[in-house]
Amino acid sequence: MTKVLEHSLLREKISWRRIEPGLEVFVLPKKGYNKKYATYSTNFGSINSRFIVEGQERELQVPDGVAHFLEHKLFEDEQGNAFDRFAVLGASSNAFTNFTSTTYLFSATENFTEGLELLLDFVQDPYFTEESVEKEKGIIGQEIRMYEDNPQWRLFFNLLGALYQEHPVRIDIAGTVESISKIDKEVLYQCYRTFYHPSNMAMFVTGDVDAERVLEQIEENIQRHDYQPLGEIKRLFPQEPAEIAKEYVEQTLVVSEPVLNIGFKEQDLGYGGEKLFKREIATNLMLDVVFGPSSKLYNELYEEGLVDDEFDAGYVAEQDYSHSIIGGETAEPEKLFARLVEGIKRAQREGISTETFAHYQRKAMGEFLKSFNSLEFIANNYPAYHFKKINFFDYLQVLHDLTQDEVNQRLQEHLSLDYLARSVIWPKSSPR
Amino acid sequence: MAIFKHKRLENGINVYIHPTAKFKTILVQLFFHRQLLNDEVTQSALLPAILQRGTGTYPTRQKLALRLEELYGTELMSEVIKKGERQLICYTMDLVHDQFLPEEHQLLRKGLEILHDLLTNPLLAGDTFKADYVEQEKEQHEKVINGLINDKIAYSVERCLQEMCAEEPFSVFKYGSLEQLGKLDATSLFQFYQTFLQESPVDLHIIGDLNVEETFALVQKIFTYQRGTEKKVPPTKVAVQPREVSYIRDEMDVSQGKLVLGYRTGLHYGDDDYAALVMYNGILGTFPHSKLFQNVREKASLAYYTYSRLEKHKGLMVISSGIETNNYERTLEIINQQVSDMQKGEFSQADVDNTRSGLRNQYLVEEDHPGALINRTVDGILAERVFDTKDLLARLNAVTRDDIVRIAEKIALDTVYFLTKGGV
Repeated sequence: MTKVLEHSLLREKISWRRIEPGLEVFVLPKKGYNKKYATYSTNFGSINSRFIVEGQERELQVPDGVAHFLEHKLFEDEQGNAFDRFAVLGASSNAFTNFTSTTYLFSATENFTEGLELLLDFVQDPYFTEESVEKEKGIIGQEIRMYEDNPQWRLFFNLLGALYQEHPVRIDIAGTVESISKIDKEVLYQCYRTFYHPSNMAMFVTGDVDAERVLEQIEENIQRHDYQPLGEIKRLFPQEPAEIAKEYVEQTLVVSEPVLNIGFKEQDLGYGGEKLFKREIATNLMLDVVFGPSSKLYNELYEEGLVDDEFDAGYVAEQDYSHSIIGGETAEPEKLFARLVEGIKRAQREGISTETFAHYQRKAMGEFLKSFNSLEFIANNYPAYHFKKINFFDYLQVLHDLTQDEVNQRLQEHLSLDYLARSVIWPKSSPR
Repeated sequence: MAIFKHKRLENGINVYIHPTAKFKTILVQLFFHRQLLNDEVTQSALLPAILQRGTGTYPTRQKLALRLEELYGTELMSEVIKKGERQLICYTMDLVHDQFLPEEHQLLRKGLEILHDLLTNPLLAGDTFKADYVEQEKEQHEKVINGLINDKIAYSVERCLQEMCAEEPFSVFKYGSLEQLGKLDATSLFQFYQTFLQESPVDLHIIGDLNVEETFALVQKIFTYQRGTEKKVPPTKVAVQPREVSYIRDEMDVSQGKLVLGYRTGLHYGDDDYAALVMYNGILGTFPHSKLFQNVREKASLAYYTYSRLEKHKGLMVISSGIETNNYERTLEIINQQVSDMQKGEFSQADVDNTRSGLRNQYLVEEDHPGALINRTVDGILAERVFDTKDLLARLNAVTRDDIVRIAEKIALDTVYFLTKGGV
């Protein structure tokens, strides 16, 4: 059964079908586009290193970086690799792993039906050998090295390590050279059998396509595989205390300027769905009011020479962990930190006026509409929100229904100095 | 068939309108063209930041930001681009199309008015820029110049090209130099600004669901500022005598080494042989099926990223890889082998076919991205040959294996650059 969801303001129509044993498929036709784009995602990311499947005895604990490693290896099969077969179709394929999910994708302007079949087939056909797993360690090792030299990446993970005491979000998505050395083909197969079951996955297709034909093709392919039902996957996480791990973390790297990020650890956790979506939208709006390009605080800091135009603030909302991150390059991290704390206290005293709230609501609406030019933006976001039980297209409605009070409440509650950590990258040659 | 309509306004601004109903936005891009000169690039790269500090209408950075946000989060960004021996100062404005906004009917007009105001009506103190703004923005710009080192991949490519073209204008860094920056003050910069506005050739591109004649009329009405005699940018020098390969090594405290190889191709975007060069580069290093990815990464596990790319207007090719520093010799050998295999014609029909399909896909996909369409037009204007998708595909299809081998023979290695760990 196909359901069709219409969004009149966006002028988009999305077709949705649940294919047994549980794969959710969404198709968004986009007339006039040359590119057709499909993603196939599993709700399995870097934080899922401990889990147990209902009906099975043993709890599994796998090395850090296994979701990302699996992403690399799934492209290989007995005949060669999927990249080559996409190349024959003139299609372009790729994949990415984040904290909570892994996504395989391809885009094509021709041979889309064949490409879609190939995407379905290679993701459902794992083929790992000892030799190829060992060889991949060199490649991923260089990916990890590349990030070790990336100041923004280091700043970010250092901050997560300061915010979280136990939760695996504090660990790099690719793991470490040491942790991936423990990955072998057995581990990959174990994870594959658990998380790559259709009931833990979703697909999104967009471009100038016929939704019914796409859904039929996917359904036929999945049903050819004769899947047995899988018990519910329980994702196990260590008990994360409310408190941050440490207030301050620093590192020196070859950079031209110090960089400061501050982070606030969320206390209101444990749910998904529209309530979570609302919290995400409200918090981001609040951060834009306090730290955005037209805010009083940002403009003061700019004139004092403490920030540049790359200064940024954003909020990440997940069911089991959430945080905001604010910052950028600065000549004086300590001074900027003190000024940010002052600015936050002042913003909390002043609150957000009706007029300001309306201004930012309108801005957020425009920004969301603009992002809809990009097929990648839609196709990469929709399944990620789906796994959080959120319909991404409800954004405008949730934004519209948001109240000034809710945003003011986020300002008071989320920006709590009790749950604030900071991370600094110092230049190697800096006279400290 | 051109997808855009072109008109030259009375004051000499070139306007290009690309009508298409595909997008939810209207994208506006305005380019000032400048010759890449060591004693001018710093000023022109710094100007956008000064202008953003305020206009006669919006006297502070904050008021300007508020006004843009009011227009449904309109973004107005400036960037500095280098294409060949030419510096482009580019303003980009991305607006939601009115048809998605029940209460709004004039967004493009309002946006263009802000852009014109920003460029031509700066906030002044007396008859020059405000000195404190200029000093603050000079400090910010110093950080931009020094900031190249923060991205080790971009840094190593820039360093390789700087060494390679040390004797040519192309080696000038697009953001300018600290030395030039130190010489600037409010008065000299304001004088430069006036000349900049008078003499820089200007192209304005607008793409979206637009009525062509109405949009020309709208631009004509708003972009009225007086310009002087245009200073044409001379063509980029592409042909350079090959020389002995030079080896450059920089030491830095890094985790990963960056190996960058710079080549002369002798071909630029407008050349008849350029499509064959694009095919050559595709087989060598654009795709996962390309020789570099297959041999450096998949077979030898030496790198995570390894690619080759073309500089369209200067006739250069760059190969870049991130490697373990003690794998320098081995990686260099494998890369050299791939380039020499290309010269010997050692690539399969599948390599040719897959590369052609991959490039065909890329050209078609560009039509889905307003920014990519404008960029393609700009490249065409610079080369004095504008190609649309049909032209590009026809040129691609005409390339033969012999063409690729003939091109391969001309590709000359010039510089091998290695960023490596220092003696700690």
